[in-house]
Amino acid sequence: MGGRRRNIFVLLFVLGLVIVSAIVVVKKPTQLGLDLQGGIELTLQGRPTPQVKEVTSEAMDRSVDIIRSGCDRLGVSEIEVSRLGADQISVGIPGATSVGTATECATKPARLYFYDWQNNLLGPAKEIATDKGTQDPQQVLKAQRQKWIDADRPPTEGYNRQMMAQGAEPTMWEAVNIAAEQQPDEDCESCTSPNRYYLFEEKAPHDLISGPATAKEDLYFDDQGNPLPKEGIVKEVPQGTIVVSELPTDPGTGRTVDDPSQSGYFVLRDNPALSGSDIKDPQQQLDQFNQPNVTFDFTGKGRDSFQEITRTIAQEGQARAIGPVSPEEAAALSGNFAIVLDNQVVSKPIINFAENPDGIDGRTGAQISGGFDIKEAQNLAEYLQRGALPIDLKLTSQSQVSATLGQEALDQGVKALVIGLILVIIFLIVFYRFLGAVASLALLSYAVLFLALIKLIPITLTLPGIAGLVLTIGVAADSNIVIFERVKEEMRLGRSVASAITLGYRRGISTIIDANVVTLLTAFILFVLATSGIKGFAFTLGVGTLVSLLTAVVFTQSLLGLMSNTDFLRSGRGFSGIEGKERWHINFMGKAKYLFAISGVILLVGAGALTTNGLNFGIDFESGTRIEVSLEQDGVTSDELRAAVADVGLGDATIQAVDNKALGANAFQIQSETLDPSEIAKVEDILQDEFGVSQDGFNSTSVGPTFGASVAKSAGLAIFFSLILIAGYVAVRFGGKYTVPVLIAILHDFLIALGIYSLLGFEVSSATVAAFLTILGYSQYDTIIVFDRIRENEPKMPRATYSQIVNKSMSEVMTRSLVTSFSTMIGVIALLVFGGETLQAFAIAILVGVFSGTYSSLFIASPVLALWKEREPTFRRRYRQQMETQGYVPAFASDLEVAKTEDEEADADGVGAKATGGSAS
Amino acid sequence: MSIVVWFTVALALWHFTIFVPDRFWQGIIGALLGCVIGGVISGAVIELAMGRGLSDTDILTFFTAVPGTLIGAYVVYWLGVRSGEGKVEH
Repeated sequence: MGGRRRNIFVLLFVLGLVIVSAIVVVKKPTQLGLDLQGGIELTLQGRPTPQVKEVTSEAMDRSVDIIRSGCDRLGVSEIEVSRLGADQISVGIPGATSVGTATECATKPARLYFYDWQNNLLGPAKEIATDKGTQDPQQVLKAQRQKWIDADRPPTEGYNRQMMAQGAEPTMWEAVNIAAEQQPDEDCESCTSPNRYYLFEEKAPHDLISGPATAKEDLYFDDQGNPLPKEGIVKEVPQGTIVVSELPTDPGTGRTVDDPSQSGYFVLRDNPALSGSDIKDPQQQLDQFNQPNVTFDFTGKGRDSFQEITRTIAQEGQARAIGPVSPEEAAALSGNFAIVLDNQVVSKPIINFAENPDGIDGRTGAQISGGFDIKEAQNLAEYLQRGALPIDLKLTSQSQVSATLGQEALDQGVKALVIGLILVIIFLIVFYRFLGAVASLALLSYAVLFLALIKLIPITLTLPGIAGLVLTIGVAADSNIVIFERVKEEMRLGRSVASAITLGYRRGISTIIDANVVTLLTAFILFVLATSGIKGFAFTLGVGTLVSLLTAVVFTQSLLGLMSNTDFLRSGRGFSGIEGKERWHINFMGKAKYLFAISGVILLVGAGALTTNGLNFGIDFESGTRIEVSLEQDGVTSDELRAAVADVGLGDATIQAVDNKALGANAFQIQSETLDPSEIAKVEDILQDEFGVSQDGFNSTSVGPTFGASVAKSAGLAIFFSLILIAGYVAVRFGGKYTVPVLIAILHDFLIALGIYSLLGFEVSSATVAAFLTILGYSQYDTIIVFDRIRENEPKMPRATYSQIVNKSMSEVMTRSLVTSFSTMIGVIALLVFGGETLQAFAIAILVGVFSGTYSSLFIASPVLALWKEREPTFRRRYRQQMETQGYVPAFASDLEVAKTEDEEADADGVGAKATGGSAS
Repeated sequence: MSIVVWFTVALALWHFTIFVPDRFWQGIIGALLGCVIGGVISGAVIELAMGRGLSDTDILTFFTAVPGTLIGAYVVYWLGVRSGEGKVEH
């Protein structure tokens, strides 16, 4: 296929793609993330159990399925559940407006186990309630009675007698003390829990402060991550033993007494016969007395286990009977089968040996009749329907965004995107005239193609995703700038327009690929390791970078190739800045000392700020709850608000009026220690009652301490792997010695960005970290461009010192570096000015990074490379030769010699120089 | 945070080694290694010797990296001179 026909084919292909994409953009709706459409987002962290000793990928996948199906059953539609890194799960509930019911489906996992009660009882209860004890039951009962009296729970009052008669302990403290004395069962595989820790008050009656927790340090934080007092007595219950509580049953109604203060506590050997995973199809039903119960079937394994364990219980009951017994006597002698849900006994049916001498056949299923009301039975059935989670899940962060705020964020993001695109287009046209118009067409094509891809894949568009989109506009424009500057260089050397375009693209493409691969690598690392919101940013950045190669390189090359023989282009009127030689002719290496000194001073200032101010970490790292609320009542003060929410423990919260258009005139932000969903709902209720809350005017974000640690860990890993990948790629493409200056430049950018954040007190959030990480890759764009030219010039300048090669290379690419950075900054500044709060956080980090990246690429990485390479014997020899022949080493090598070499190369390429126009001097 | 501060101080001071004739062992990269290793070690040693933690920072944290950075740079320079490295002038 000839060049002209190929160009026409490519143009028609791209045109077709753009038209189809435009139709897709118009017809297909965009899938918006929770931050843009409103809803609730939760992050859960997986933790091991004795049965699943490590959080495996399979266990995480199973948990994801269970949460998804469980929430579907609870009527929470369109739930988005996905894995997040190795041990976290992200749950998004679009449209949810309350953190109540909607979040329960994900955060209240049911852990159901079935125990042979009598055979597993430990402590005094074993002596009292079974025939397996070694002491006189009456003596033990007497001692127990005293315990109940000491615990201020007189055995004769209320339901205490009922619980005491079963051998229950009156307090958790007493039960845990008994449990703590048991021997650990290290190799137990059927155990439901590892070692568990409890924190009790030091003073009697030693109320429970927190626990059970699987890690001792977790005792000092409540479920929502709020710090708890360090004082107290810690007790450890070894693996193999558990403490369960049981509520008494009202003899009159047969129902469970719903009052935790009436609980009794038992110590059990942790040896369940079945678990929640052995049952299926749990349903809320009514029994023959019209009482609500929960029925279920067993799986094949569960059926066998159920039959076996009930047979054992029945046979033991039978053994206790002497001679024939009546059904009532049989019931009294029979053992129990305890159903324990989340460490609470919900039912303890008797396995009557007279009725079921061979145990109970599990084929007809079983039922739990715990004296529930219908709602309790329904809830239990729903929890059981979810199946047993294979691992523990801990809520580490939650975020609630109202639909109004989401819409506002979307409007701001789209506005910033469009304005950024327009500004970049104006800049390109002003700076490059006709070439700029071509690049603008490419950018518009890129925008349409990318938007279509977002809808087709579909990529869930989030606020960070919009930031990624804006950055890719910069990437797309950069590709064109790299090539156009190259084309102009070739024209300055006297080549015809056609040959300049051919050579420009041929030589520019490797630079673009190198630069984009580094960006792609960083986006990939970010996608793998980042939190869910940031994944959107990484994905759009990665996909956008790939699409930009198609539009910025393939499309523009065909368009320019097709037009290269027109009179307009041949006259050179379509190009600007092609007259004379390169614009820059600066002895960069001679000025390296001063540039280094400037960098040194900047870093010292940054270090000073870091050491005195530190970093202003947001709640992503520090944990806490941030509530934004729009009040209907005018003139409310922060103090009035504080007084209103003091009842829920927010008296010390940071409360301030905020200027937020989406929330209206009476908007406030409340920042406090981490609140749980019910507390947040309570705050909303209080504010609604006291001042009135505008429709969709309540947003909250809660982050637990482990989430911050997880973000920090992910960031550390992302930095490490990004550095490895970037260093590896640069080493392969350029050589090992190019790697070290690149890494120094990256560290330089990173530390300067940290210093600026510290100096100006900007908040460091997970979004900031993502932007920093992106900068690690993207800021190398300029470094790659300079290095690429150094690598290209090195063989062309056989007698030049390395400093001379670097001086020439930097002079040649200076315009390119400045223009690419400027075009990226335009988009980012649009993000900063017109984007909302989240986008601004991205924009600041990216802006700082792009600025620092350009500086370090030009004035740190290249001089370091030159200083290091100068020590190689080849370049020492050249240095010596120039000193001997000229008496000094000039900043630039002989231009004539370089030009000659370039002409020879062009001839070898078969691309001739034109007779007129610019010429090499 | 302390280690970030020491590292930043060491990196900052390294920039000024360009004013010294390049006779460092392994050149400017050797100087970087000397500065950073020296800075971080000196920061940690001084802070620990003074019984301070490594997480909180104050202005003293900044200065604890300085002697080690200078010593590290000097050691690398001395190694370079001893091995007769680098006599390139600019």
